[in-house]
Amino acid sequence: MSGWQQHLIIAPIVIPLVAGALLLFFDERERVLKAMISLVSCLALAAVAISLFRLAGGAEGFEGVYLLGNWPAPFGIVLVVDRLSALMLVLASILAIPTLVYALARWHAAGAHFHSLFQFLLMGLNGAFLTGDLFNLFVFFEVMLAASYGLLMHGSGSMRVKAGMHYIAVNLAAALCFLIGVSAIYGSAGTLNMADLALRIGEIEGERRMLLEAGAAILGIVFLIKAGMWPLNFWLPGAYSAATAPVAGIFAIMSKVGIYVILRLSLLVFGQGASAGLGLNVLLYGGMATIAFGTIGVLASQALGRLASYSVLVSSGTLLAVLGLNNGVVTAGALFYMVSSTLTIGAFFLLIELVERGQDAGASVLAVTMEAYGDADEEEEEVEVGVTMPGTIAVLGTCFAACGILLSGLPPLSGFVAKFAMLTGMIGTGVTGEGPIPASVWWIVALLILSGLAALISMTRAGIRTFWASMEGTVPRVLVMEMAPVMLLIALTLALTVKAGPAMTYMEETVRNLHEPAAYIDAVMNARRAGLAEPSGPAGGGGI
Amino acid sequence: MELVLSIGIGIMTGSGVWLILRPRTYQVIVGLSLLSYAVNLFIFAVGGVKSDAAPLLEEGLAVSTMTDPVPHALVLTAIVIGFATTALFLVVLLAARGLTGTDHVDGREQPK
Amino acid sequence: MTGEAILVLLVCLPFAGSLAATILLRTDSRVLAARIAGAVTLASLVMTAMLYPAVQEGAKVRLDLAWLPQLGMNVTLRMDGFAWLFAMLVTGIGCLVVLYARYYMSEEDPVPRFFSFLLAFMGSMLGIVLSGNVILLSVFWELTSIFSFLLISYWHNNAAARDGARMALTITGIGGFCLLAGFLVLGHIVGSYDLDVILSSGDTIKAHPLYLTTLVLILVGALTKSAQVPFHFWLPNAMAAPTPVSAYLHSATMVKAGVFLLVRLWPALSGTYEWFMLVGIAGTCTLLLGAYFAMFQQDLKGLLAYSTISHLGLITTLLSLGSPLAAVAAIFHMMNHATFKASLFMAAGIIDHETGTRDMRRLSGLFKYLPITGTLAMVASAAMAGVPLLNGFISKEMFFAEAVETHADSVLDRMLPYVATLAGAFSVAYSIRFIHVVFFGPPPTDLPKPNPHEPPHWMRFPIEFLVFACLVVGIVPSLSIGPFLHSAVLSVLGPRTPEYSLAIWHGVNTPLVMSVIALIGGAALYAFLKDYLARCDDGPPLFRHLVGQRIFERVLVTVSWKWARWLESHLGTRNLQPQLRLVTAAGLLAGVLPLYFAGFSPKPPVLGEVDPIFAVVWCIGAFCALGAAYQAKYHRLAALVLLGGAGITTCITFVWLSAPDLAITQLVVEIVTTVLLLLGLRWLPKRSVKVDDSVALAARGRRFRDFLLAISCGFGMFLFSYAIMKQPVPDAIASYFLEKAYTDGGGRNVVNVILVDFRGFDTFGEIAVLAIVALTVFALLRRFRPAADSIEKPEQQRIQNAYDAAAPERSAGDTVRDYLLVPSVIMQWMFPVVVTFAIYLFLRGHDLPGGGFAGGVTMAIAFLLQYLAGGVRWAEDRLRILPLRWMGFGLVMAAATGMGAWAFGYPFLTTHSQYVDLPFIGKVPAASALLFDLGVFSLVVGATVLILIALAHQSIRVHRVRGLEAPKAEEA
Repeated sequence: MSGWQQHLIIAPIVIPLVAGALLLFFDERERVLKAMISLVSCLALAAVAISLFRLAGGAEGFEGVYLLGNWPAPFGIVLVVDRLSALMLVLASILAIPTLVYALARWHAAGAHFHSLFQFLLMGLNGAFLTGDLFNLFVFFEVMLAASYGLLMHGSGSMRVKAGMHYIAVNLAAALCFLIGVSAIYGSAGTLNMADLALRIGEIEGERRMLLEAGAAILGIVFLIKAGMWPLNFWLPGAYSAATAPVAGIFAIMSKVGIYVILRLSLLVFGQGASAGLGLNVLLYGGMATIAFGTIGVLASQALGRLASYSVLVSSGTLLAVLGLNNGVVTAGALFYMVSSTLTIGAFFLLIELVERGQDAGASVLAVTMEAYGDADEEEEEVEVGVTMPGTIAVLGTCFAACGILLSGLPPLSGFVAKFAMLTGMIGTGVTGEGPIPASVWWIVALLILSGLAALISMTRAGIRTFWASMEGTVPRVLVMEMAPVMLLIALTLALTVKAGPAMTYMEETVRNLHEPAAYIDAVMNARRAGLAEPSGPAGGGGI
Repeated sequence: MELVLSIGIGIMTGSGVWLILRPRTYQVIVGLSLLSYAVNLFIFAVGGVKSDAAPLLEEGLAVSTMTDPVPHALVLTAIVIGFATTALFLVVLLAARGLTGTDHVDGREQPK
Repeated sequence: MTGEAILVLLVCLPFAGSLAATILLRTDSRVLAARIAGAVTLASLVMTAMLYPAVQEGAKVRLDLAWLPQLGMNVTLRMDGFAWLFAMLVTGIGCLVVLYARYYMSEEDPVPRFFSFLLAFMGSMLGIVLSGNVILLSVFWELTSIFSFLLISYWHNNAAARDGARMALTITGIGGFCLLAGFLVLGHIVGSYDLDVILSSGDTIKAHPLYLTTLVLILVGALTKSAQVPFHFWLPNAMAAPTPVSAYLHSATMVKAGVFLLVRLWPALSGTYEWFMLVGIAGTCTLLLGAYFAMFQQDLKGLLAYSTISHLGLITTLLSLGSPLAAVAAIFHMMNHATFKASLFMAAGIIDHETGTRDMRRLSGLFKYLPITGTLAMVASAAMAGVPLLNGFISKEMFFAEAVETHADSVLDRMLPYVATLAGAFSVAYSIRFIHVVFFGPPPTDLPKPNPHEPPHWMRFPIEFLVFACLVVGIVPSLSIGPFLHSAVLSVLGPRTPEYSLAIWHGVNTPLVMSVIALIGGAALYAFLKDYLARCDDGPPLFRHLVGQRIFERVLVTVSWKWARWLESHLGTRNLQPQLRLVTAAGLLAGVLPLYFAGFSPKPPVLGEVDPIFAVVWCIGAFCALGAAYQAKYHRLAALVLLGGAGITTCITFVWLSAPDLAITQLVVEIVTTVLLLLGLRWLPKRSVKVDDSVALAARGRRFRDFLLAISCGFGMFLFSYAIMKQPVPDAIASYFLEKAYTDGGGRNVVNVILVDFRGFDTFGEIAVLAIVALTVFALLRRFRPAADSIEKPEQQRIQNAYDAAAPERSAGDTVRDYLLVPSVIMQWMFPVVVTFAIYLFLRGHDLPGGGFAGGVTMAIAFLLQYLAGGVRWAEDRLRILPLRWMGFGLVMAAATGMGAWAFGYPFLTTHSQYVDLPFIGKVPAASALLFDLGVFSLVVGATVLILIALAHQSIRVHRVRGLEAPKAEEA
């Protein structure tokens, strides 16, 4: 364990913590200063994340394991950077910058301590992605959640507080399950370190094994709640649609944390074993149910916020179901999809608030009912002269269209590539000559296509209603500072499309590593400690 | 010893679960506190229970006579986090009560 | 310039042009946009033409660019004879349409948007034509859907355009998704998405069990696009688009994409019985119905739209037959239809432009005003009707010839000649009607725009050009279109290319007879229907009330709105209780199922070693828990006390089971939590026992269910914990800590050493949580507004104040002060004691029970006592606490300690420990962990105090609120 780059591993946790702490020393009135600190920290995070991404991509002399307190695994807590966690780190930091910039336009002033909470949220996310220790994972989950509680209720208002209360209650229950699960695992396996657990789990038999699996299952529930699997996801639309735009934007990655942990643990620890199959089926069918529910919700929602929240469910469901298939090629596609959909939903949440600024709530209801009562507006005089749209509307409209295209998986943006990448592994060339395709796969394919269609229908409905039907609606006042982040995120999806080849290669590598946990375990268990000069471990050693 | 403790845990869990399923925010918070007691005890119990073990390291004390310290550490962390979240939930329910005027968990009285 | 380069340019240039036009969006230069569009289309046309030498005699140009090679999705562009012919069509008519549109679009229209969409659409269309990879093809396919949506809805300020556009998008979108799925299955069968590979492995495909699946999926794609029955109804509604768009989309591009695809995949998919039935039925129905509907349209564009549908039906039918000759005819007719239909649409546009209406009931006798346009229209519609010496005639003859032939013998096949003739007659009828109604008869009476006149020459030029083409191809086919058609056919059919002649005169044969019958019959039919048609309203008899659009809208709304909403409300919930119920149930199941499946059998509990005193303690504990559960609804205070009891029981348990640290921490936390709850109670609504005790059956049912759930959870936890306690922990890491705690961690209190050293990182996160929560609480309470009914002073206070008010020598609040005098004095004196104790707890933490957290909370309690003793104002007059600073310092301290290790090249949180002698206190461990613990201490103090103060301050705020409420009350 040596070299400055080794210490980069801890940076994604320390940077936001220190930033968040420093922010506490300044009064709310010093907006600019606080904004600067926050922004700098985010940029630094992005830089660190990207360099870790590079290193994890396979750099010489870099071992992705960090022994905290210089205690050897499995005794101390370890942080692990592999391709997957590096990917998540980058995704989080890339999403953080636009959302923060967006918030700087106005939202950060809507309540106290926005920036500290934002930083702590990032700290929690990064910690959850990095840690290699089950209980430490719990701690960082709590950091993340606590921050998300604060951010969700940022700006107060009865809507948010109500949503917040539901969100908190559900998550507290989940946290208790987390504790039960972890301690049950410790009680039956005697370790908290994931890699060590993966090593030991083989030898554990009998009653102990049963208890272990029960604990693991209870733990699984927690992550499924976080990932928003039906029927444990009713809190999500309420919470996400009540949150302020930038908060909802950063929340886009929160639901992916659950997915990340499931992916990590299921492949590292519980890949084999008696109840592994059971778990996979839960993922598969639960995921499908989630897609279905999300699709229905997407169709059924008038308010754009709820539409977006249900899109979150659709994407979670897709990921869960696809992971349930446990097929390497498809999983790689799923990772690509995860990145794409996170960026999409982030952009969409940011966009919604801008779009709805010009709208009055009544219009949407009217539009839908008009549609419901058939074509009542057919008889209206046909004006055969187009309307020149104001620039703002044009830009907003373009972004909205882009989001619609992304959500419904139409070309040319990354939504299409992602969907294709998953589908080709299920029914395309990926399975050529592998005999008949199982029914469950057909179901997933059908659901994927239907969800895309639903997104298409309700996005066109909403788009027409918002941009065309109600032209007399006042043009919203939108700052460049708010428009740019949305465009940046969309541009990223475009880049993802163009660079689909390399991106996909990375995902495939990632999945390959995940499917061979031996390397991970070995790296953790044999991580070198600093200052091996004296065998007694850390400097100084015992006192008397 | 184990029997009594586990029965205790069971009862606390039961009452806690009953309470968090009630419609009043205050019931929910009491329920959550009870549950966190139960869970803390559970974590603690996982390490195996000894009533006469030495809590601290002494000179020439056989390690084997001591209880597993790890669960204790975990419980401590759990207690702290539990305390924090309880406080938060309390304030949230107060805020909700202030904003909605009711202490029903859904922010409005159920239509009878 | 090489062929490959041209291919790339062909696809990219239009999009580039589109972008350029978009950039002009804000400028008002209408002509510039049009010029750009013209230049781009012309350039594309020229480039395509330049490629001809490379695609003759079955040769093809091909370009491969890696995009997603590992998944077989690449940018493969290929142009063969057929693609070339089609590209010519797309770019050529594109040119003419642009020229036409430049004059057609009115001054007020924002034309840059129009041209930009048009160019992008052309680009996507060229993409479809040139794709050499089916996935790439479906990419462009969807792009055409999107851009056609934008083009149709160009006049989005009128509802018809919006609805038409949305319908077009929805239907072709569905088609597109199916097409993609079909291509994926195709790829699964063949093992590649490369078009050449697919075309070369037709037999494999047809033999594969998934053939039907992929066929159906692909057909849905193709047929929706080219508006075949039963997906036809979007096309007439797309007529709300500006006429140039209709002229482009419905002659050469959009709808042709469908049949183009059928031709493209013809070698791979056609020739089977399924193909014949599916495609054939769709084709013939469309052919007949389209023609029939067309006769009864009153809108010029409507008539043309349905005739387009019918002609596409004709092409589809030809392709269904699976014979090479039919394929030739199909390709040929695509070209011909494009030419005459485009010109007719433009003519209709001119008429609309000049007269202001397209309603054939209002138009008549225009020939006098528009002689040239009229002549052109006549020739074009003659071609549409299939009059000899025009291109329409030749391809129709071929069709008749094929119709007579027997292919896959079946009812459908035997019906075909009659269907063909009938449809032919219909098309003659509507063609005649088009001309006769519009240009002949009495002079028009009620035109919106009186005295129409010929349009500017360049607006008419496209029509002239196209009609000229019709004539040339019609008169000297083999000299004009012949070679190009040949290379096209060759590229599709390859070795199966049949002998065919493009001569006009094949002698008197069945097809000719059929044509004659069709012509005469059509003329007769029109003569017979003329008067009826002059009066009848829009739409054909029988079908008039069966409007595809309305049905579609209704279905869409029902499924995608009504049903969806119903389902959403029934599959989901917005209430908390069901959610928590589900979560608990899920947790229970997750715990139980694995044990159940693994056949877990709980050990019978051993009553032997039950310690009576411990049992008694727990009896009290259990009583408290149950009591709290029972009382929490109506007697909050009682519940709180009982809760405390349960907490104390937990503490005792910790002590009993030799965990002093936990006991201390639990105790202090207990105190603070209780105080918090007490502070909170005041803001909750009063509740007397009788209120809303619903005895409704449903409510009882719910309660019972919850009760069962609670019982089973409790029982489950009991079994689980008992089993796990009976299970000695496999000693993996515990002993390591016990051994190293003193030697390496430098502390006797192993638990504390674990907290600040071995697992210091957990504590690190834990204090972050505390900080976050404190901030959130602060932020929330800053906006806190007490509910209306908890604003006025609590009852006791009111009584006391009343008493004070009554007694003259007393001032309000005295009683309270009297009551609290002794305790408050004690509490004030306690301050230093508690603080010292806190510091002591903190310092000894490393070796004895205590530590940063316990110390911190105790410190906070010390402050809290002052608030309790003297009230908020009194306390804050005397000691100024800046909790945020404490917190910030704590976090920074902890982080700094952690980072300190970097200086020595050690990882984060590596500790160094030794002992120092402090006066009075004695040996104190000065492990660097202590600094870390100091951070913890400081943060805990800060956070706890912040929470408590924030809550306590509400009592001040409420005065302010009361102040605000008072005047309102008086007004009321």
